[in-house]
Amino acid sequence: MERRAFKQAVFAVQDDEAALDIVQDAMMKLAEKYSAKPAAELPLLFQRILQNAIRDHFRRQKVRSTWTTLLSNLGMGGDDDDSDPLETLEVEEFTNVPASPAERLEQSQVMAAIEQAVKALPERQREAFMLRYWEELDVSETAKVMGCSEGSVKTHCSRATHALAKVLRAKGITL
Amino acid sequence: MNEKEFASKLKPWLERTAAGIGEVQATKLKAARLRALDAYREPVRIFGLVTVPAGTAQTIHYSIVQRALLLLPIVALIATLAIRSAQETDIGELDAQLLTQELPPDAFLDQDFRSWLGKSQF
Repeated sequence: MERRAFKQAVFAVQDDEAALDIVQDAMMKLAEKYSAKPAAELPLLFQRILQNAIRDHFRRQKVRSTWTTLLSNLGMGGDDDDSDPLETLEVEEFTNVPASPAERLEQSQVMAAIEQAVKALPERQREAFMLRYWEELDVSETAKVMGCSEGSVKTHCSRATHALAKVLRAKGITL
Repeated sequence: MNEKEFASKLKPWLERTAAGIGEVQATKLKAARLRALDAYREPVRIFGLVTVPAGTAQTIHYSIVQRALLLLPIVALIATLAIRSAQETDIGELDAQLLTQELPPDAFLDQDFRSWLGKSQF
């Protein structure tokens, strides 16, 4: 569960550390504040908390970038880039390791292309697609999590699907 | 290929990307999950009321009857205090009457005087 949530956050915020913080906070919030809720409601609640946390991240980022721009325009400089690029490099571990190196290479290329295509989707389209088809929520549940109408969910999903299919087809990838 | 078919073919690839996350992230996520499970307290339910850790109460929605049940101990406490206070007032008034009478309080303890007082009332 937490791995899927982590990947969803990574697709959205495109920063592993920030995604990790978001998932950790979401899990803690669910445990601390919603323990009285019936167990059947918890997955949906978790998705709602997670999506809200992702939106909050973007809001904070927007405020921070406004201030950074302001300060750099004033000549004070924004010196908050203390992340180590090496920290984001991880040796990947696969559960279904292909037999030959060629197959392994091909699989990693397909995965990279899919990740890139998903990351490139507009925020709401990606959110709808992930909730509907990865988390397997139905249309009404997805609408509740996203705080929009069922019609909007269907539209977002349809657009996301077409966009992904188009990008993958362009790269010669057949699923 | 329709939308659902495409999504069902894409899902295993998405699962693979989740399975392929780095060792460090996987360990951190597992630790976070354990911390969250540690913070999770199984609620105890009595008459539909739930015992929960601090911070959870705001997420619970009770019916009017359940809210009344929650207020019952407070109402009982206020009633007990009110009754006690009333009783204390009565004793205080009695003391005041005794002390302001012409007869000394010891007179009421005298058996002969009490029997005379009883007879004289008839």
